[in-house]
Parts: sequence; C-alpha cells; structure tokens
Amino acid sequence: MTLSLHHFLMLSAILFGIGIYGVLSRRNILGILMSIELMFNAANINLIAFNHFLYPNQVWGQGFAIFVMTLAAAEAVVGLSLVLAIYRNIKSVYTEKLNILHG
Amino acid sequence: MNLEQLLPTVVFALMAGLLIALALVVVTSRSVFRSAIALTGALGVVAGLFALMGADFVAAGQLLIYVGGIMIIMLFVIMLSQRPMAKADRQTNDQWLWGALFALAVTCGLIVQFRAVYRGIFSTTVSMPTTVSIGRLLLGDMVVPFEAVSLVLLAALVGAVYFGLDYEKPQ
Repeated sequence: MTLSLHHFLMLSAILFGIGIYGVLSRRNILGILMSIELMFNAANINLIAFNHFLYPNQVWGQGFAIFVMTLAAAEAVVGLSLVLAIYRNIKSVYTEKLNILHG
Repeated sequence: MNLEQLLPTVVFALMAGLLIALALVVVTSRSVFRSAIALTGALGVVAGLFALMGADFVAAGQLLIYVGGIMIIMLFVIMLSQRPMAKADRQTNDQWLWGALFALAVTCGLIVQFRAVYRGIFSTTVSMPTTVSIGRLLLGDMVVPFEAVSLVLLAALVGAVYFGLDYEKPQ
C-alpha cells in the first residue's frame, strides 16, 4: 500500500474533528485555544498535502501554510493576553463565569 | 513491495496513530498542563508529517514557531492563571455530548468525501529542498500578503501589550 493523498486528508479530517469536539466541550478558555491550534494544524496538513500531491513543482501551499502559522501565532498571543486580563478581573478561566453582560 | 515504498507508509501509520492519541489527550485531559504538553507533542508530530511530505522549511518553521514559541507562551499563561487544586474541577460543559456528535458527523462527512474524491493520487516526484523557492514566492508573487501579515503582527504585538497592562498598580 503506497501513500496516497486521501490518507493525509483523512488524518487531517480526524484531527479537525477532535479540535471541533474540544472547542465545543471545554469549559476552560485555554483548552478552547489549544483545540483551535489543533484545527489550524489540520488545515495546514491539508495545504501541504495538496501542494505535495497535486502541484509538486510549486510551493504555493507551503507559502499559505506559513501565513496560517503566522496568523495562529498572532491569534495565540492576543488570545492569551486576553485570558490573563480576564483572569485578573474575574479570577477564573471558565467560560460560564463570563456572563457579566447578562444583566 | 520493496522497502522504499513500505517505509513511508509505516512512518505515516506510526505518526498518524501518535498524532490522534495525543490530540485526544489534548481535548480530554483534566489537567490543562497535561493538555499543553500533549499539544506540544502533537505539533511536533505534525512537523514530522510536513517533513514526510517534503516540506522541509515549513517543518522547521512549525518546530520553531509552534513548539518553541506558542507552546512556551501557553505554558506560561497556564502557570499564571490556574488556581491550585484546579485539577478537581470538571473540564467539560453540559453540551459535550452534542459537541461530540457534531464533531463525529463533520469528521465522517469529510472522510467520506475525501475517500470518494481523492483516492489513488500518488506522489511521483522526488522531494527537493524548498527554501529558495519559498523565499522567491514570499518576496515575489506573495509580497502583498507578506507585507500585510507584518502589519497584523505589529497590531498583535501592540494589542498583547495593551491587554497585558495592569491598571490596578499605582504608577
């Protein structure tokens, strides 16, 4: 059995599903951020796999993967500083405590 | 079946199993710290997958940016924001079952589609180093998003400093 494109795509689909489950089921903001990182990585595996199997003489997929990684870094930095600000204010990182707009 | 064809398959199977196991630890572990350690391992395995697909520059960038940068920040924030004894807290919300069903539905749909459309597409070329061509791409055809992303990074830097300021302390 030789490696084909759909093996990588199926692996990334499983990774993406695990990330969706983490985002939907975690109470902890940090857990949600980590699950989002998993989903970013699933998308990156897709980009690299399409690049490698369909257009092996070009590097556009790898360039897009680099942009995804850069934006993930920016998102993680802003998100984590927001988590710290939230923790300073309400002394909790659980999402159900973030209801001060509830009235 | 010779060894040259078998070896990438075996490596891929090992990395896929390890990646799925680590990702499951990330989303199910009670301790956030253990989740972060498992996520570090998972991102390293993804870098290995990139290397398996001939993307050497992106694999190195994955190790440097994710494993070396983002995960260190995340571990710092975890250690700064967890109460002691937080391990006893429940880590899932009340909708976890519906979340699991939704994730399962999305995964099954994607897998069925991928199997139907992209079966039997094999790699034919030998992988070459990609750093030179990525550099030419980033400063050639992709120069506008390249410059835009530098502005985004500047905004993220300013935003992180702004949100990180502590207003309670007297100046």
